[in-house]
Amino acid sequence: MTAVSVEGLSKSYGPIHAVDNVSFAVERGEVFALLGPNGAGKTTSIEILEGFVGRDSGNVHVLGVDPGHRHQQRWLRTKIGVVLQELAVEPFFTVRQVLERNAGFYPSPRPVDDVIELVGLAEKSDAHVKTLSGGQQRRLDVGLGIVGNPELLFLDEPTTGLDPAARRTTWDLIRGLASNGTTVVLSSHYMDEVEALAHRVAVLSRGRIVASGTPSSLGGRDRGNVTIRFTLPAGTAAGDLPVTPTVVRGNTVDIVTDGEIAVLAQIANWALAGDVELTGLSVFRVTLEDIYLGLTNHDDDEATGART
Amino acid sequence: MSDDAVTQNPSVGGLGDVGLVAHQVRYEQLAFWVNRVGAVFTVGFSVVFLVLLGASAGNSRISYLGNIKLVQYYVPAFVAYGVMAACFTTLAINLVVRRETGLLKRLRLSPLPTWVLLMSIFVSTMIVALVQVLLLLLIGRLGYGVRLPQAVAAFAVVLLVGIVSFVAMGIAMSTVIPNQETAGPVTSIVFFVLLFLSGLWFPLKANSGLAKFSNYFPVRHFLLAVSAPFKFQPGVSPWAWHDLFVVAIWGAVAAVIALRRFSWAPRRT
Repeated sequence: MTAVSVEGLSKSYGPIHAVDNVSFAVERGEVFALLGPNGAGKTTSIEILEGFVGRDSGNVHVLGVDPGHRHQQRWLRTKIGVVLQELAVEPFFTVRQVLERNAGFYPSPRPVDDVIELVGLAEKSDAHVKTLSGGQQRRLDVGLGIVGNPELLFLDEPTTGLDPAARRTTWDLIRGLASNGTTVVLSSHYMDEVEALAHRVAVLSRGRIVASGTPSSLGGRDRGNVTIRFTLPAGTAAGDLPVTPTVVRGNTVDIVTDGEIAVLAQIANWALAGDVELTGLSVFRVTLEDIYLGLTNHDDDEATGART
Repeated sequence: MSDDAVTQNPSVGGLGDVGLVAHQVRYEQLAFWVNRVGAVFTVGFSVVFLVLLGASAGNSRISYLGNIKLVQYYVPAFVAYGVMAACFTTLAINLVVRRETGLLKRLRLSPLPTWVLLMSIFVSTMIVALVQVLLLLLIGRLGYGVRLPQAVAAFAVVLLVGIVSFVAMGIAMSTVIPNQETAGPVTSIVFFVLLFLSGLWFPLKANSGLAKFSNYFPVRHFLLAVSAPFKFQPGVSPWAWHDLFVVAIWGAVAAVIALRRFSWAPRRT
């Protein structure tokens, strides 16, 4: 069953097309990621799904209702959880107080003790929010997102600004929620985060989806595109090779292929027959990072706004 | 649509929304008193001012104000201060900080209805204002033996009009302040300059240039409106209709600005 469906969604802020004809769908129980650099339209897309900002055009359904319809919003907000980019928790409350307050907003909240346990703040339950570390505050933030027992959880850049250890614990927390059946829509500009968490990903750039699929299939990464690289042996030329190189830079040869075993066999036989060394031989698949940068690199020198 | 969730929380939905206001007011109050800055700035300041100024005023009297004791003047003056500090300054700063740190956005994205949130903020602010009024009257009466408001109904109406109007002005003020760094300084400067010009510390003669100037603003009118029910001068009505009217006009204009400009999301760009 579909938790989120988006068709032809567009939203402009003045002359800037923050979201430009975007379509995607998220199934129930799935972890779906919007990946892209700052200013790509991730936060705007999520804010439209949450019903926080309106849209210019397109069809959007979240848990079966249109988030832009005012009279649906309160019902929808009892069913969704939201974790914003910024850590937004009152500094003067204790962990328990802030969770108890927000639990009171929902018709059937998770018991506060369960939430505290889930986000791993049992020892901090009576500590004031301002005394928590960044990672602990983020976990409390996630706790506020799930205290209403949501069917669908939005996480906007959940680990931006966290140290590596805090990132890992936040990832574990998100995986745990997903394995309990919560549908998760997250945004990120970290490739490793998407690879670690998401079942499916859409890459956004300048408000458009430039690629989508599973993290492992993104940009055709699962099929071919293996690079075989080595240094041309002394006394040989690129033309002597049994296979035509894709790129030659100085002495370095790159052969990009999907039949890496056959190519390796030919090269190895050629080297053995000529009794030459293949120094620096390496075989690698392009990383998600390479693909991501390739898809989005034209954004590098863009002046980007705060909305991402 | 699976609208079949079992309602376990009695304070949500329908008549229960009134319970939700009570729930939220509790936490608004908790946040206010635990965050000592706001509590000191409003309640602490007004009490300390009254105690110190009352002590230093001694037995001096104001010849141009019915020859009442100076400390008698200070009681309604600081009641007015207290209401304005709670409803205008503290509320404006509080709203800017909550907006800019994403707290308002977060509340907006929860199922808490907007009217419940706004009503809770209003009720909570009113509680702070009324606590102060009681404290100040108590200190004035027990500490300095001043007269309490004689026209109780007029006093109550003035407080209500003042609280509603200055809450509107506080919300309007918060919408024109761009970020939390400037929220404190800007509102405090506006507030204290107007207080000074309006004669909070040094009572103004009715026809002085300063009085005429400060009559364009709501602060002096509110001061006069709060003083009237104390009936310092015999034969003068406890209902300062003109002053109340000016305060209410300011409140109404502020409410329009507040409604037009209010935003849940941080302003920083």
